[in-house]
Amino acid sequence: MEKQLDKILRRVQKPGRYSGGEWNAVRKDWQSTDVKMAFAFPDVYEVGMSHLGLQILYGMVNDREDALLERVFAPWPDMEEQLRNTGLPLTSLESRRPLRDFDIIGFTLQYELSFTNILNMLDLAGIPLRSADRAGGDYPLVVAGGPCAFNPEPIADFIDVFVIGEGEEAVNELLDAYLSARRSGEGRRDLLLRLAGCDGFYVPSLYRVEYNEQGTVHMVTPVGKNVPALVRKRVVADMDAAYFPTRMVVPAIESVHDRAMLEVQRGCTRGCRFCQAGVIYRPVREKEPQTLLRHAGELLCSTGWGEISLTSLSTSDYSRVAPLVSELIKQHGPAGVNVSLPSLRVDAFSVGLAREVQKVRRSSLTFAPEAGTQRLRDVINKGVTEDNLMEAVEAAFTAGWHSIKLYFMIGLPTETDEDLHGIANLARRVLNKGHALVRAKGRLKVTVSVSSFVPKSHTAFQWEPQNTMAELKRKQALLRDLLRGRGLVFKWHDPQSSFLEAVLSRGDRRLAPAIEAAWQNGARFDGWSEFFDLGKWQRAFESTGVDPRWYAYHRYEYNDTLPWDHISAGVSKKYLVREHRRSMEGAITPDCRNGRCPGCGLCTTLATKPYLAGGETVAPLPDTVQ
Amino acid sequence: MPRYRIQYSKRGSSCYISHLDLVRTLERAFRRAGLPIAFSEGFNPHPRFSFAAPLPVGVEGLAEVLEVELQEPVEHKDLAQRLNGTLPPGLAVLEVTSVPDNAPAPMATLTGAGYVVHIDADDLPGPLPEGAVQDFLDQERIEVTRKSKDGKEKIRDIRPGILKMEVLSQVSGLTVQLELKTGSTMNVRPEEVMEAFFRFTGMTLDKADLEIVRTRLF
Repeated sequence: MEKQLDKILRRVQKPGRYSGGEWNAVRKDWQSTDVKMAFAFPDVYEVGMSHLGLQILYGMVNDREDALLERVFAPWPDMEEQLRNTGLPLTSLESRRPLRDFDIIGFTLQYELSFTNILNMLDLAGIPLRSADRAGGDYPLVVAGGPCAFNPEPIADFIDVFVIGEGEEAVNELLDAYLSARRSGEGRRDLLLRLAGCDGFYVPSLYRVEYNEQGTVHMVTPVGKNVPALVRKRVVADMDAAYFPTRMVVPAIESVHDRAMLEVQRGCTRGCRFCQAGVIYRPVREKEPQTLLRHAGELLCSTGWGEISLTSLSTSDYSRVAPLVSELIKQHGPAGVNVSLPSLRVDAFSVGLAREVQKVRRSSLTFAPEAGTQRLRDVINKGVTEDNLMEAVEAAFTAGWHSIKLYFMIGLPTETDEDLHGIANLARRVLNKGHALVRAKGRLKVTVSVSSFVPKSHTAFQWEPQNTMAELKRKQALLRDLLRGRGLVFKWHDPQSSFLEAVLSRGDRRLAPAIEAAWQNGARFDGWSEFFDLGKWQRAFESTGVDPRWYAYHRYEYNDTLPWDHISAGVSKKYLVREHRRSMEGAITPDCRNGRCPGCGLCTTLATKPYLAGGETVAPLPDTVQ
Repeated sequence: MPRYRIQYSKRGSSCYISHLDLVRTLERAFRRAGLPIAFSEGFNPHPRFSFAAPLPVGVEGLAEVLEVELQEPVEHKDLAQRLNGTLPPGLAVLEVTSVPDNAPAPMATLTGAGYVVHIDADDLPGPLPEGAVQDFLDQERIEVTRKSKDGKEKIRDIRPGILKMEVLSQVSGLTVQLELKTGSTMNVRPEEVMEAFFRFTGMTLDKADLEIVRTRLF
């Protein structure tokens, strides 16, 4: 098979995606390792290799003597064609073994538009798509985790076990449970029951879902002993002591983020009401600067990367970010290592940081005011003010940047055309500021990039409908007209893919046949604009009798049972209702970093608490309204 | 700054690393080995590597040539050992020599390359007629069409670029040894020679069936 694989590798565009053999890749002895797991990333290699979670789990599992973890990525369409033509199964990168030979396959669910790739990978591996069809045979256990596991229902029929929350906490338990089950000769169903009894493991086949006549969920009932009615997410209590992979696999072909990743903190407590990550990664847990410096040193030494990126949901919120950045530059700058900050807060402080790390003013600076008026920014709880933004761009233009990108969302709840005019006005103010400060006026550029609001589970906006595609297109057209002119660039997302994202993120189990039909119609890589084709999905919805508009455009009531209500992110529904009400009143809710608890309920529910570096209890953010 | 000529091999999974990615891979390997490469000046400094001839993706190289400038002198043996400790599987340093400051770039002195090309028995379009290679070489001109960067097709005579062509084995498929002109004056690729050869014998060849190894550069 090795030889055949080499033959097809000569026929694909980028064989390096499938060849393995990268620096720090771990190849363990197959026969003598007890439990074999594959980490399956349902997107192409270059995307998957940029994912920190992969590196964390890869290191953790391979550090165990009794387990191995190998990688597999979604084959690009040219490779799929080769596999299908030759009948070769999908194999892992390390040992080039068929996926079917593994005990466990773990998919990561980073975005809804990768769901069809999961089905495609299972199919290419010769594994039945539906969990029910795997019950009889000796198939690998199909596990999935990551952000989209917080509403697992649309793909519940395809996955045996979902891991809710942070993988570091759960992966060892998963492997141990698997080994125990095998030692005691348990069958597949016993193993599933065993896992369902562990915290944070959701076994969808052990829950019965009933629906109301109006179409909403009536009730979700666990079936079987020890199967909990509510599955709570797992949280790493002590981030500073948590495992961190300092021997990351260095991709052989250039990846989207081809650099060392240093996770400075996890979680974000800003409480933007549209943001799912802000809820599911709570509480904020900062790492100590000494720990980070040690990890950075080991990481750079073991990988040879010339760039280190400080990652987290909002890196400039890390309370020790300035001293950390200076120390990193001091220690590693002379060896030619660059520090990069992927997410910038909208204030002058962040520009100062960016200035420190970027000696050469290459590329542009990006800020995300999210909405065009103060009213709407209050509705979404983005505490940023216009003054914050103007100070930030003034600092940026003065420091030599001449290109600014502004990120906004359209279709947010309560949005009117006035808010769209607000976006245009803000962009023009930034442009005027640039005219006053930038010397090379010809190079001055303000890019406005708008995405469309997608209501997500576990957020204050989970009850809200999405704007219709027609409405989003109208809003984009309006903005396009308002943003004409020299120095202004307008970019927008395809509302069709945002629509599908809303359907899948608010969906329930009744979507499974439609997802399968879409895959059969050829849907792959739906997150890639060159492949996305809503037509394939529309035909799939029609043939399976699903009305996608209901899922995207339906307004849920507070007392409705939501499809994901049996999955808990730790934040109480009462709090989300309160947040939704406050949002409709335009009332903002301050961050708990400043010492006042807004009562999201997480700390008591999960017996955890926020942690700030040095054990500080208060570290307010400068750009938010206190 | 001291300049070194490194002869290395690129085999196995590393043959799928493209030339651009190879530059990154080597840069990181030097970094891991604690060997400080000299960088070019300017806004976007890049490592001072100089290759004799980029190897196409999927082609193995047994004796490739790279020259590198380091910020400080290193013993040849030490350089080879340290780098071999940090190169990913498939890449290996074979020999290190010093290069005088005023020596021309390796690309400038390159004239030819040796290849071994293999086709599996299953992929052979048919049996070779007796003396086919000699008849092929006896042609006055061997014309191939090449697409230039602007998309225009151009006909070229590659016969002067074929220095040697010899069948090594016909046991399990076909194995051919080639010596071809390579470099700035004339550049002939092994797959175009094989394609022309099969066309000459009246057969068509799928270039993706060729297993190509570059054995040496001269």
